[in-house]
Amino acid sequence: MTDATTRRERGDSEEFETIAEMEAEAGPGREGQPHGDDSLIGRFDRWGLSRFTAWDAVRAVALTTLLLLIFAGGAVRKAADELKPGLGRDVVKAVAGPAGWISDQLPFADTRRDLTSWLSPDQQLTGSGFEAGGVSPGRAAPVTPPPPSTPQPLERLLVTGDSLSTPLDIELARKFADQGAGVQVTRDPHLATGISNTGLVDWGKLSSTQAAEDDPDAVVLFIGANEGYPMPGSGGAQVSCCGPQWEAIFRSRVAQMMDNYLNGGAERIYWLTIPTQRDPARKPIADAVNQAIEGAAAERGASVRVVDLGPTFTPGDTYRDSIEIDGKQTIVRESDGIHLNEQGSSVAADLVLAAIDKDFDY
Amino acid sequence: MLFPTVEFAIFFPIVLALSWALMPRQPLWKPFIVVASYVFYAAADPRFCLLLAAITLVSQLAVVGIHRTDDERLRKWITAGGVVFDLGILAVFKYYGFFVTDVSDVLDSVGLGMPLPLATIALPVGVSFFSFQAVTYVVDVKRRQAEPASLLDAAIYLSFFPHLVAGPIVRASEFLPQLKEPRDPNRVAVGAGLTLIALGLVKKVMIADYLARELVDPVFAVPQAYSAPDAILAAYGYAAQIFCDFSGYTDIAIGLALLMGFVFPQNFNSPYRATGFRDFWRRWHMTLSRFLRDYLYIPLGGNRKGRFRTYANLMVTMALGGLWHGASWNFVAWGAYHGTGLSVEHASRGRLGRLFPGWLRWFVTFNLIVFGWILFRSQDLSLVGGYIDALTRSGPATLYSVPVVGAILLVIGLQLLPERPMEGIELRLGRLQPLFLGAALALVVLIVGATVPSQGVPPFIYFRF
Repeated sequence: MTDATTRRERGDSEEFETIAEMEAEAGPGREGQPHGDDSLIGRFDRWGLSRFTAWDAVRAVALTTLLLLIFAGGAVRKAADELKPGLGRDVVKAVAGPAGWISDQLPFADTRRDLTSWLSPDQQLTGSGFEAGGVSPGRAAPVTPPPPSTPQPLERLLVTGDSLSTPLDIELARKFADQGAGVQVTRDPHLATGISNTGLVDWGKLSSTQAAEDDPDAVVLFIGANEGYPMPGSGGAQVSCCGPQWEAIFRSRVAQMMDNYLNGGAERIYWLTIPTQRDPARKPIADAVNQAIEGAAAERGASVRVVDLGPTFTPGDTYRDSIEIDGKQTIVRESDGIHLNEQGSSVAADLVLAAIDKDFDY
Repeated sequence: MLFPTVEFAIFFPIVLALSWALMPRQPLWKPFIVVASYVFYAAADPRFCLLLAAITLVSQLAVVGIHRTDDERLRKWITAGGVVFDLGILAVFKYYGFFVTDVSDVLDSVGLGMPLPLATIALPVGVSFFSFQAVTYVVDVKRRQAEPASLLDAAIYLSFFPHLVAGPIVRASEFLPQLKEPRDPNRVAVGAGLTLIALGLVKKVMIADYLARELVDPVFAVPQAYSAPDAILAAYGYAAQIFCDFSGYTDIAIGLALLMGFVFPQNFNSPYRATGFRDFWRRWHMTLSRFLRDYLYIPLGGNRKGRFRTYANLMVTMALGGLWHGASWNFVAWGAYHGTGLSVEHASRGRLGRLFPGWLRWFVTFNLIVFGWILFRSQDLSLVGGYIDALTRSGPATLYSVPVVGAILLVIGLQLLPERPMEGIELRLGRLQPLFLGAALALVVLIVGATVPSQGVPPFIYFRF
């Protein structure tokens, strides 16, 4: 008989008022005695569940997998394409490739799409996507409306991009809210996406859709964590990162996005450059992306402001985890050496606000 | 590797088939399952496998040392060494940044500051869970509640992929006995396993992620921008979201383990039907609360050293339990809030139960728990103030919709239904033919998959912890 039982029989209820009651009942604190079944390990036996053989389990899971491959083999192949390069992706692709092919030959995938597409939370994208080869280098930039010469009221701000754009978007929204400004901040981060990779989302279409649906007065863009993918050149061949040809295609895509926002009604775009990242292998990508942004912005004059984060976060083009904020060294990067953390995003938001202040009243 | 991903959908059927094929040959099965689990873990970051291996080796060394001596003093020292190593790993990877910034600020203010280098340290997925399991292994052997295992068994116990990244926190004394004999291939709870996996997917992807996207994340990100109707709904929404997210993960983990022939402890038992804080902790993240009880509260003295010491022990236990969830003061505040609730219940000596009817105790407890989630979910303490402001600000309801309100009512309401009928449904599902359930699971995955945004499934909330 446990001490707890003895105490209970004595009517000494105080000893059982805390979680220590369970200690006594379950016997976890008694040296040399096993824990009681406070974990309900035996619950499946107690419930009297039916038991089957191991091969029933294997067959059931195999059937699940088979049905998924038949009905969604194409989606599996697409998901495999979007994985980070590496052994894992190769293995998944080895399975997903044939699965996608089999699925393509059968009519079930279309049926599945027809029946379930209404459940998708994704926006229906409109407008033109990126074209192979981008805009030819000699072609003049399309005419976009000139920016107003005097500060305009800011009512709607769109903050978007890939994972770099969050928590920047949250920091900007908080700063506007703290000021009591009636600015409606739309936060629309698209994690894991890239301008050079249209697998998850085509930013050419997405920028058109955002401009039409959100109707922003200004757009803040911070994107570039997932770039460096090969892009189709004008002849259809894939162009690898990060030579002049890749940069030219990337620049034409950036320009297309800028024009989509400006022609869609936005008066200004604030496009943030990528600060130096910890991994030196990512430097050529970041350099090409930043040059493309600056080049495309220069063609659009004051309509596009480039917010250069380099001098603030990585002066001298040297990566660092921390910078001095209010006289104190503060960590501003995430542990991946790519993203800004909350403090860093707050600093970046201040830089964006300083630029917005010159162009808008709110 | 996340459960609801293509990688896992390919990984699991292969591992399941090989696992049962090798099960009768334990010298082959054991290395196989360790390798499979390390492959699963390496998908997140291969470097962290070294950390997992180090914790396994050191814990095993400690356990062997404890078992070989009868000198109680030496056993205590070895236990302390093992526990300090396991928790030290957790402290360095999870709390270094917090210590260097927040804690050193406090020390600076009283003249005790010490310069420590600033550094960003990546948090290894699951470290909070497998370090705690390593502690249970060392301490249970010291307490003679578990037998020392072979190194291979210890490696399986700590790395077994269904529980590796977010629990449940399985005690050594619960798992190691299941390794003594090959699992019985004629007694596999296939129906229960498949049902739990399907249920977990629905909870996570269709309910938790939906509520996060449509309601909770926007309001908690910028509470200043919302008024009372939205803030109130988002608080209840988060209560439903975190339950579906974490219990959904647990359901999948337990279901996968069942298909492989293993049983994990129960982790949730309708927590929102609790009629008090103590009741809540018997129903919410049960494997964490019993860990805190067995390995912290009781060693601190439990309720055996007087009333005030009991309150202090409850507060310390719950505050540290809060801190376990993340290196941030708001988690400490959340833990202290629950510690206060437990202390008040203790001080009432059961009078609350006698004075107030059950429905009123449920109503008050539920709303206090929901308020606690505001502390838990807010990014930092300053935003808690902003959220409380929002709760008192009049304004329009902008986020109410039938699916959002319906999802919240469904999640809370199902927990208030009598337990017997729910058990009956589970039993009936568990009796269906496995092939039928396999096809049903495929249908569920297809429907659930259609609700996933193009960016994929967000990580489980508890992966961050």
